[in-house]
Amino acid sequence: MSATVSAPAGVTPSSRDWEKKVDDVRPSKADMNIIVMNYLIIGGYPSAAMKFAQEAGLESQMDLSSIEKRNQICTSIHHGDIKTAIERINDFEPELLEMHPGLHFALLRLQLIELIRRSMEDNDIVPALTFAQEYLAPRAPQYPEFLRDLEHTMALLCFPPNQLSTPLKKLLDPDMRKQVATMVNQTILASQEVSPEAKIGRLVKLRAWVEAKAAQSDSERLRSIPHMDLGLVSPKGEFPEPTD
Amino acid sequence: MASSSSYHTVAASGTSTVVPRSQGSSWASIVSGQPSRPRISSTASTGLRNQRNGSHANLSDLGSQSGRYYNTAFSNSHNAQSKLLRLPVSLPSYLEDSLYAEKLDAVRDLSWGSAIPSRTSSYTSVGLQAAQSRGTGLKLDVKDTVPSPDDDLPTPLPTKWNDRDRSDGIEVSQDGLNVQFSVTGPSKVNEYDSASVRADYFIPRSCGVYYFEVAIMNKSREGLISIGFCGADVHLNRLPGWEPNSWGYHGDDGKSFCCSGMGKAYGPQFNSKDVIGCGINFRTHTAFFTRNGQMLGTAFRDIPNDRTLFPAVGMKKPGEHIRVNFGQEEFSFDIDGYMKAERKMALQEISDSQVESLCPPLDEASLIQSLISSYLQHDGFVETAKAFAQDLQAEQNALSSDGKSKPLELMEDENAIHRQNIRSAILEGDIDQALELTRKYYPDVLSLNEQINFRIRCRKFIEMMRQSAETTNGRKKAPSTSKRRAFDAYGDEEDEDVDMDGDAQSDMDVDEPAPVAVPDFDMLGKVLEYGRQLQEDFKDKPELQEEMEQVFSLFAYSDPMTSPMAHLLSEEGRGPVAEALNSAILVSLGKSSKAPLERLVQQTTVLLRELGEEGGPASFVNIHHWIHNLDFLPNS
Repeated sequence: MSATVSAPAGVTPSSRDWEKKVDDVRPSKADMNIIVMNYLIIGGYPSAAMKFAQEAGLESQMDLSSIEKRNQICTSIHHGDIKTAIERINDFEPELLEMHPGLHFALLRLQLIELIRRSMEDNDIVPALTFAQEYLAPRAPQYPEFLRDLEHTMALLCFPPNQLSTPLKKLLDPDMRKQVATMVNQTILASQEVSPEAKIGRLVKLRAWVEAKAAQSDSERLRSIPHMDLGLVSPKGEFPEPTD
Repeated sequence: MASSSSYHTVAASGTSTVVPRSQGSSWASIVSGQPSRPRISSTASTGLRNQRNGSHANLSDLGSQSGRYYNTAFSNSHNAQSKLLRLPVSLPSYLEDSLYAEKLDAVRDLSWGSAIPSRTSSYTSVGLQAAQSRGTGLKLDVKDTVPSPDDDLPTPLPTKWNDRDRSDGIEVSQDGLNVQFSVTGPSKVNEYDSASVRADYFIPRSCGVYYFEVAIMNKSREGLISIGFCGADVHLNRLPGWEPNSWGYHGDDGKSFCCSGMGKAYGPQFNSKDVIGCGINFRTHTAFFTRNGQMLGTAFRDIPNDRTLFPAVGMKKPGEHIRVNFGQEEFSFDIDGYMKAERKMALQEISDSQVESLCPPLDEASLIQSLISSYLQHDGFVETAKAFAQDLQAEQNALSSDGKSKPLELMEDENAIHRQNIRSAILEGDIDQALELTRKYYPDVLSLNEQINFRIRCRKFIEMMRQSAETTNGRKKAPSTSKRRAFDAYGDEEDEDVDMDGDAQSDMDVDEPAPVAVPDFDMLGKVLEYGRQLQEDFKDKPELQEEMEQVFSLFAYSDPMTSPMAHLLSEEGRGPVAEALNSAILVSLGKSSKAPLERLVQQTTVLLRELGEEGGPASFVNIHHWIHNLDFLPNS
């Protein structure tokens, strides 16, 4: 009784058919270049952005000095020099930290972590304690999560470095700096009314989403779509094993 | 053009109304990805709105409106013409971001070629300007356009009631929009029978949501009118909803009927002048109705997703008369808002999706970095690749200040450097250098890729013409160092002879040979000689002759730079040549001609299309808008 949709049901295309479909799509070069440029700007890679503008023949309307300032701030954070980072933020966007108490707290906590890291080397916990009492303790009662984070961080002082639990170890991981740097970068971008998410980030998410959706689909045809490889290879031909 | 019938006469779609070409170009802007669009945004719909607000009497107006709404302007397309003719010219605004709209655009791009800017090439606005976004003057991209296979053509949207798909006892107006229960039909309808009609086309699932409205122009005392949708083979002497595979909202009792004679209480009864809307949501497999702009809620669930469904109306009593709005006029319900909410849900879902499974063990940040650096390598942006790698390395070093520095792989690839040198030579107009490098490092590439060989040789010819024209005119000192390098052989000594004042141009218009042209004879001779050689080398390639003639026509003008063919000389033509050669070299090296980033876009496009075809959430997502336009949405 029912009319079926024009696409012949039951005929599942082979992986070669899918490859051909993929090959037939012609993404525009101009688009690719815009995606790359956008990433270099948003991600804060000033020298690469400048070179790319030249090599690809693109004009960037975004102020290069702003990328550079964001880059400097993030670099300070990566280095663990939070004091300089905060000074630079205050120079660049004087009201940013005041308007984002969570970000400010995250920076101060990172600074405390860096002090604790040093105290472990120097066997002197006084600077870390003083800093915590002076800067973090007064802020902690504002929000319950601040208090929790502070307690968690202070626990670092209670254990010898080689007996830290995994969540505590994580605090000392360089990834912590990276996270805070990303937060700062995005907050600055948002305050400048630039979308803090790079186009390529959205694109990658869309790619992951469509694949997941196809796998969950009611349609046999969609479920049968083979995994499509991106063709990413490291220079040595394969990806390095996940690092420990 | 006087109207004698009670209904307006409208030219059948795509047959008699001729829309001038200039008219056609306006629809490019209709659906071009402008961030802020009017609710209905086309010349066609302006006309249609006038029709609604103004009188209904102007027949010639109606004719041309209908002509614009259905695309009659496709007359210059060569393929699948009749099918293209039935595609809508403008879309109801709620469909503008749908997959359906994207497919429509794709077809337009192909059938119009470069006559109009397409949506896909015009969204370079986002704070960045792409110098290369405009195409080359030369129409040499034969390889770059893939004709859309016939089955990829979008199906037309419903546009009117189908006079050939109705039961007796119902009368469809000539414009196909009005339907009346007929008292005087040839066969008097059985008292137990009703009369229904289907729309001309089924509803494409790639719309994501489909919506139409029916105005109750007049009703019988009972108001036995059913508005809904049904399959292609459902009997039309019953009201939609009563038969299997049909669904309807009935005006006499306000009940909703789902494939059965037993209705469920749903909404109010219909009154004269009510506007009843019907929407199908292919994501949720549900349908809803609206009344005078108010949402009445979900009427049906679990609508099977393997049927083709047509809008349908049915009626049972004399005096009943409805008029449909398939989107040619503004809707009374805010379907745009409904659509926006739907899209937002899909977009939110995408934003929340996890990318770790895409390319393990890479996390999101590393995956993106790999995509970027492989793209830079692949496309020969050597300097950028280096700078980017250094930036990343610096970041890595900073992060591991504890001495556990993990050195990043610097992808030093000498092929990338060769490719970059070839690329920049072409971008600077130094074709000789590019040819020399290519022959040296990739000796087979040019002989194996005749088309690319031809493109490069043509470009060389064009660069010679450029040089010749620039020296002759003494205008425009070479903006880049390239020109000097390209023509070292005969360029330099001319400079002083040619350094002349502004009279140059007026001199060129005079019949007698301009004195300044004398020193250029030598050069023009060389250009001519090169042209002859080019012709000789490719003379037995009929498919290339047209392009060649186009290029040679530059000879016809004393000043090619201001001639009608000047676009051929544009520096922007260099980019595509460089890309084509780069791709050919990559293929010869056994590498994919596409960088992983491009693969990602290609795969996403295909998967999105396939998913959207089923009417799922993917049909609300337009990849171009997703990448580019979302910036303008304030933190949605």
